[in-house]
Amino acid sequence: MSEPVTTDRPSAGVLLLALALAVGVMAWAWVIFEPTPAGRALSFSLLTGAVFGVLLQRSRFCFFCVTRDYLERRDPNGLLGLLAALAVGTLGYHAVLGSFVPDPFGGRLPPDAHIGPVSLVLALGAGLFGLGMAISGSCISAHLYRLGEGAFASVFALIGVLLGFVLGFLSWNPLYLRFVADAPSIWLPGHLGYAGSLIGQLAVLALLAWLLLRFARPQAASAETLSVGQRIWRRRWPTYIGGVLIGALAVVCYLRVGPLGVTAELGSLSRTGANALGWLPDRLHGLDGFSGCATVIKQALLSNNGAFISALLLGAWASALIAGDWQPALPNAGQALRGLLGGVLMGWGAMLALGCTVGTLLSGIMAGALSGWVFALFCLFGLLAGLGLRRVLHW
Amino acid sequence: MSIKQWLGAGVLAAAAIVQVAQAATSEVLVSTDWLEQNLEQPDLRIIEVSVNPGQYERGHIPGAVNVSWHTDLVDPVRRDIASAEDFQKLLREAGVSSDSTVILYGDNNNWFAAWGAWVFDVYGVENVKLLDGGRAKWEKEGRPLTTRQVAHAPGNISLGERNEALRARFVDVVAVAEGKQQAQLIDIRSPDEFNGRIFAPEGVQELAIRAGHIPGAVNVPWGSAVAADGTFKSADELRKVYAAVGVDGSQPIITYCRIGERSSHTWFALSKILGYDVRNYDGSWTEYGNAVGVPVVNVAGTVWGGK
Repeated sequence: MSEPVTTDRPSAGVLLLALALAVGVMAWAWVIFEPTPAGRALSFSLLTGAVFGVLLQRSRFCFFCVTRDYLERRDPNGLLGLLAALAVGTLGYHAVLGSFVPDPFGGRLPPDAHIGPVSLVLALGAGLFGLGMAISGSCISAHLYRLGEGAFASVFALIGVLLGFVLGFLSWNPLYLRFVADAPSIWLPGHLGYAGSLIGQLAVLALLAWLLLRFARPQAASAETLSVGQRIWRRRWPTYIGGVLIGALAVVCYLRVGPLGVTAELGSLSRTGANALGWLPDRLHGLDGFSGCATVIKQALLSNNGAFISALLLGAWASALIAGDWQPALPNAGQALRGLLGGVLMGWGAMLALGCTVGTLLSGIMAGALSGWVFALFCLFGLLAGLGLRRVLHW
Repeated sequence: MSIKQWLGAGVLAAAAIVQVAQAATSEVLVSTDWLEQNLEQPDLRIIEVSVNPGQYERGHIPGAVNVSWHTDLVDPVRRDIASAEDFQKLLREAGVSSDSTVILYGDNNNWFAAWGAWVFDVYGVENVKLLDGGRAKWEKEGRPLTTRQVAHAPGNISLGERNEALRARFVDVVAVAEGKQQAQLIDIRSPDEFNGRIFAPEGVQELAIRAGHIPGAVNVPWGSAVAADGTFKSADELRKVYAAVGVDGSQPIITYCRIGERSSHTWFALSKILGYDVRNYDGSWTEYGNAVGVPVVNVAGTVWGGK
């Protein structure tokens, strides 16, 4: 007879710390609130960032890991969770877009949705990003939540991202003039209407899900008997739950503030720093006109995205504490270097692609942008190349 | 007439002028309170002209239609305001008819809404008013916003020719700078731009090759025309503000800024609230400061390419 695990709960001290973090984030959101659009957006970004951090941590929602799980163990659950996020997000986004842009054929793109130009540069950026993901072991959003779990190797990856962005800025001008300036920003509803885009995207997602399941292998089920509390707080969530909630969160964020993204702040920090050091060319052509995880020279200390990812970290940390996932570990030299190298590739790729797996893939596909799909495809290629490289080099 | 009769006539005349000035203020501005009470008025057409993208979509005054300042109010290819045809089409789709009352509002203290009002005036559309305080005041007072869009039945407005008397062109401004024409120039940019210390504020794309101001211009930053909550100051206060720099309406006035849009805000205050004779120079510093061979006053001596 199996007994319920009664000692499976966090210690009082840990619980208190998690509570303090949660209260701290809420207090911070309350303090920075101002009854202006900017003040509301900042406060809201803080709160949704914390929620996003919790969702990522609880469902271990990492684009790289879920893909690797399928490739190595034919475990479809992670990728199905991603598809669930895309499906829910697509539904919600199309509903909101129908209000923001009632006539999609009018030639106007919805304001600030992540609909990017489709060009070779996008493919290159996505490929570099995928490669970097495989080498560093996670995508950027996952590094952020892993940091909340104490994986300090992710610090190196994030430093690498900042450096990678500089590489991106340095390579941008010639690439922009040659490939991006005339590239179309294809928005599916603009050509197919909302119904066409919605049905089309859901059909593709359904097909992908079917394919995943077709070639999946049955996975070992957990033999534990768990209470509801344990399922929610102490065990990994089935990825589809995280996926559905992330899809819903993405829609709510777009409705209130803007699309989900995690690289705007990192890119902006990089751009501000590099500009101050005189590393950047005077002007980055066309950049400030594109919708994507836009990087700007920072004017204020805390931007919406800065608040978002700061709270993401704190939310993930609190969640990890409660779940017993807080396992601080310092990386060895090899891990640190791999993290740095992977981070550089991810930063470079994210700059060229105007976003990462969250900003370009997730937020793009949900909004019906072709750039989201193109990113997903080439990111996968890069990921496969990265996995191959790791196998060859025994990383 | 005897002195008493002259005095009596004078008092009556003054009273009439004050009446007209006050009535004019409320004929061109509506309060947030009034608008909220009258949202259901059938001939009201509310139009939002905001700078920041996504503002309108994420919440606007119920019944408001969106106009994009950088594509709908201008010709996107040649630098000019929208053509009569395009503007008429836009207004008809927004449901504006000849008997409509148009209320304009926007973010950033109604900067671009005021510019919209100027464009409306150039095309002779009557019954156009600004929502005093704009979006910011409406939101601050917690008044309702909606994300839903309302489609009005197409309007029947017909636009005539442009009223060029409301526009100052480059040749007019050069003539004033060279002393060949009489007018008072008001530069509504920041003092740093006016004095030539900087070419333009941080982060803006539209620059000029030379810094400074048009000779003879006075600097009255646009913010001097509004109170802390974004509403226009009263007619008396405005008169004082501009009289302090020697602008009292006795001479024709020309307002300008960097790209010609913010100057419409001051134009609105001077023209609609004070009733002065004022034109907006929509080419502004991006045209004048880039022109070859025109007189410029550059107090700070900043030179393009570094000191």
